[in-house]
Amino acid sequence: MKWWGWLLSLLPAGIGILIALLATNEIISDPILFLRGKLAAIAILMGVTISIITIAATQFWIYNQRKQKREIRELRKQASEDRRHFLQRLDHELKNPLTAIQAGLTNITYEPLEDYLANEVSAVQAQVLRISRLIADLRKLAALETTPLETTVVNMAELLTEVVSVMKDQTNLEDRQLTLILPNAPWPLSDVEGDPDLLLLAIHNLLDNAVKFTAQGDTIEVRAFDDRNDIVIEVADTGPGIPGTEVDRVWEELYRGEQARSIPGSGLGLPLVRAIIEKHGGIVVLRSRPDQGTVFSVRLPAI
Amino acid sequence: MDANPKLLLVDDETAITDRLAPFLSRAGFDVRVAADGEAALQEIVSYTPDLIVLDVLMPRLDGREVLRQLRQKGDWTPIILLTQVGESAERAMALMEGADDYINKPFDPNELAARIKTVLRRASPGQPPLTVAERLRCGDLVVDRTKRRAYLKTKEVDLSPKAMSLLEYMVTHPDELLSRDRLLDAVWGWDFPVGTRTVDTRIAELRRVLGDDPGDPQFIETIPGQGYRFIGKVEKTS
Repeated sequence: MKWWGWLLSLLPAGIGILIALLATNEIISDPILFLRGKLAAIAILMGVTISIITIAATQFWIYNQRKQKREIRELRKQASEDRRHFLQRLDHELKNPLTAIQAGLTNITYEPLEDYLANEVSAVQAQVLRISRLIADLRKLAALETTPLETTVVNMAELLTEVVSVMKDQTNLEDRQLTLILPNAPWPLSDVEGDPDLLLLAIHNLLDNAVKFTAQGDTIEVRAFDDRNDIVIEVADTGPGIPGTEVDRVWEELYRGEQARSIPGSGLGLPLVRAIIEKHGGIVVLRSRPDQGTVFSVRLPAI
Repeated sequence: MDANPKLLLVDDETAITDRLAPFLSRAGFDVRVAADGEAALQEIVSYTPDLIVLDVLMPRLDGREVLRQLRQKGDWTPIILLTQVGESAERAMALMEGADDYINKPFDPNELAARIKTVLRRASPGQPPLTVAERLRCGDLVVDRTKRRAYLKTKEVDLSPKAMSLLEYMVTHPDELLSRDRLLDAVWGWDFPVGTRTVDTRIAELRRVLGDDPGDPQFIETIPGQGYRFIGKVEKTS
């Protein structure tokens, strides 16, 4: 309870005592009221009683609030634990069949196959790889919730340069303009404390999305700057934008937007980004305008 | 000609053993299968395999318990664990407990066959593998695996946690060609889209901290287009 809460609760007792003092010192008259009690006695009695009831009621209310909050926290914790166990079991239950399928496929390809069969087998192999990737991503998500971060000082400017150069090397950008804007004056971008591999993965996922959802001639900008005690990293593109109805849902696991259906991906990229950034004590939000583009904005505590 | 190496394949999933056993036979091994830990312990006595491929999660007696019981008895038959766990600490623990190597499910059977051959080549019969040593030395470099620290000329070096795990994996697998994908799987346990670059970054950190010149390496050699190899001579130390 705050100080003013105590003050308010004790106010009736104070008023009672004041009236009693004034009456006994004959500053005001002290008539006999009901039950043959004098004003002074009745004032004290009522004041103190009201105060005690108020304090008891507030304490009871506060206790209930805390209990409720604790229960909600426990429920959330339980739900997140259940989900983690579910993911672990799913991971485990899928791994064995996948191992068997992979071994079976290898056995089939031991003898040279006719062309059409070879094509079928390699198509199945590609799908097995796809499922393997999906469960690897699910495992990553589950692991992020349980495993403590292995942190070190991370130079984000270097990391961003690295991600952009990987993207330029590995992807056919086809006339998309990809630029990285880093501050140099008056000081360079601050460092953060974190797991460099996870942060690299998060930024890579954002940039990979930007490339996937843009076309020739579009512009992609990666920019970073200090903002008070944080650093902000933005990945912006001039793609089709995300419809308003989907803006909140893109963070959901396995959610695939209307436009995303035709584009390869697991539906776990953005949930992973969010899990990684939140694990680092940061936040990630998006702003999007249909037909104009999208900006993902990551905010991380600077050192 | 020498007889084929004898393999014991232990997994409770017949769907896996029925596919892997013929594959491994074709790859040049004599293969027997056991369906759980207890059956494995019996087979080890009667069959005396040269190497055991051991699944971790099994009913009755799991793979780690089999590993522990064998090593406690002083049986150092090489063991490759088929691991399920995603956490790198658990995998590193498997090595400390006496496994010679581990491979995460699901895996490419060809990769398993290659690992089996490597472990057989590296193993000295009846001797504990490098993977169980608590301290390893390579020239001026000492890696203390229990403390997870490394020293160069007795001075402690400052490594990021991932670089330390990477160094640990490399010194316990000297002279082996370690592809980026394999290092990624073994040390990170994750399949990163940008993973191979991540490996290169950590290798660069190791080289910088250890003062290793890539042009004339003492410790880590680059095999162009394939990966890395730890070339220093590694020995156990106290």
